[in-house]
Amino acid sequence: MSESKTVLIIDDDRDFVTAIESLLQCSGYQVRSAFSGREGLHLARTLRPDLILLDVMMTERTEGFFMLQEARRIPELSQTPVIVISSIYADQPIFRVSPEAGWLPANLFLPKPVDPARLLAEVRRLTEVACPEISHATAGRSES
Amino acid sequence: MIPSWTALSIPRVRNWGIWQPEVKQPVALLNAAQSGPSEEKLVVVIDDDEIMRLSCEQILGKVGYRVETFANGHDGIRRLKEIRPPLLVVDIKMPELDGFEVIRSVRQFDPDVAIVVITGYATIETAVDAMKAGAYDFLPKPFTPGELRMIIDRGLERWRLIKEAQRLRHEKEEVERRFITLVSHQLKSPLVAVKQYLDVMLYSLQGQLPEKAVEWVGRSQVRLGEMLTLIQDWLALSKIERGSWCDPAASTSLAPIVADIVQDQRQLPLAAALTIEVALAADLPPVCGDRVSLSMLVSNLVGNAIKYNRPGGSVSISSTHEDGWVKLVVRDTGIGIPQEYIPRLFQEFFRIKTEETQDIPGTGLGLVICKKIVTELGGSIEVSSQEGLGTTFLVHLPVAEMKKEAG
Repeated sequence: MSESKTVLIIDDDRDFVTAIESLLQCSGYQVRSAFSGREGLHLARTLRPDLILLDVMMTERTEGFFMLQEARRIPELSQTPVIVISSIYADQPIFRVSPEAGWLPANLFLPKPVDPARLLAEVRRLTEVACPEISHATAGRSES
Repeated sequence: MIPSWTALSIPRVRNWGIWQPEVKQPVALLNAAQSGPSEEKLVVVIDDDEIMRLSCEQILGKVGYRVETFANGHDGIRRLKEIRPPLLVVDIKMPELDGFEVIRSVRQFDPDVAIVVITGYATIETAVDAMKAGAYDFLPKPFTPGELRMIIDRGLERWRLIKEAQRLRHEKEEVERRFITLVSHQLKSPLVAVKQYLDVMLYSLQGQLPEKAVEWVGRSQVRLGEMLTLIQDWLALSKIERGSWCDPAASTSLAPIVADIVQDQRQLPLAAALTIEVALAADLPPVCGDRVSLSMLVSNLVGNAIKYNRPGGSVSISSTHEDGWVKLVVRDTGIGIPQEYIPRLFQEFFRIKTEETQDIPGTGLGLVICKKIVTELGGSIEVSSQEGLGTTFLVHLPVAEMKKEAG
């Protein structure tokens, strides 16, 4: 990798952030974190990360959802790859809502706790593609 | 169902924004909840006879009731919608709208008001018809003040009991809902954080950790995983029981669900040494049910077939249809189930504890969930097994009527 990519994590669970930050940094990514939707949006605007990891449910109801809708309205962020993570998405295929569903403009959903190998593979995939098409990403198929 | 520790104070949870399917409440209950404490000693009287109206006002006014009187049904009904009193006295024979029509109208928007029918034409038939239309009691004219007061007091008592029962049911649902919210977020959150640390630790630091640490972290991951699965299963079970999970009115095709689940479970380490075959009839009609609960059903059955199998064994999933039913068969060549355990198989938390099964993970809720889903969707589930040879689960699901597929 010629230059390291930046990942922004937005999640109110500080322990989760610590664990994932460490995982990503060990794999050569630069990581910044925010603990609320508002903070996350502000940081996303200024930082222009290569990828955003977002928890849909934080302290306030649907905070993550609204933050993402807001972010997509900002031209510079409309194409940024977003992985949505949440503990309500159980590890069963039917719970993975397809991004084509349209109500949440994310590239991918992952259940919490995330499998480290899976997360790294998806982060690599989404940051290597120049302009990932949000609507055509496959839901939840890991690359082998 | 709710464990006794919920008797301890449940913390006031702010709106966590947990996605909760709507629990449908009857309109009457919602209105009662919204309008606040209603005036209890309030009676509406509808009678075209002015003297009767004045008498009622006087008789009941003396014992603390507030009485509103109306000469015709239309005015009375309009007012009833506004004030929702506990009691209504209505005459049968009136020129514009008769008593029966008033009762039927009122029952459409207020199922709880105690309606007392008064009439000079007191026959058994009239009384029966009045009760059938929705009246609570019947008082033939002429009546004494004492008789009117007694019937009104009894009507009020009945209304109070109905309201109390509604309040208690509402409270029970509130407690259940908060319990589910509590379990789903408060309990899960810390578990997820702990497991995440362990997952990252093993992945990143494996080379630097002493062997014992690696082993014990691995065991901790397994136990935590069990807890998380248990919470998930318990939540699913609660939702199925509250009726907010399965949708028997939906119609769904089984083929894509089976395909998705098999593809997913094929990747599990336990499935590596097994052959999994799928043979669904090509013209399989859609069944009653929604994708989420049908997926849970199939996932549990296939998961069990894989877990309780043996190296080199096989799992076969097949489906046929006849006579308005779709038959789904999940068969495995695994360790089988001893006959004495079969009657208890679908009980909550029941798990077979033998030497062979002690390392097999599971919550004991999988089959309960299957059975409840199948029952909610109008079908049935049976099991047959031979120890040492294998087990077969047979599910019958009703074919959905011709309508748009939910997909």
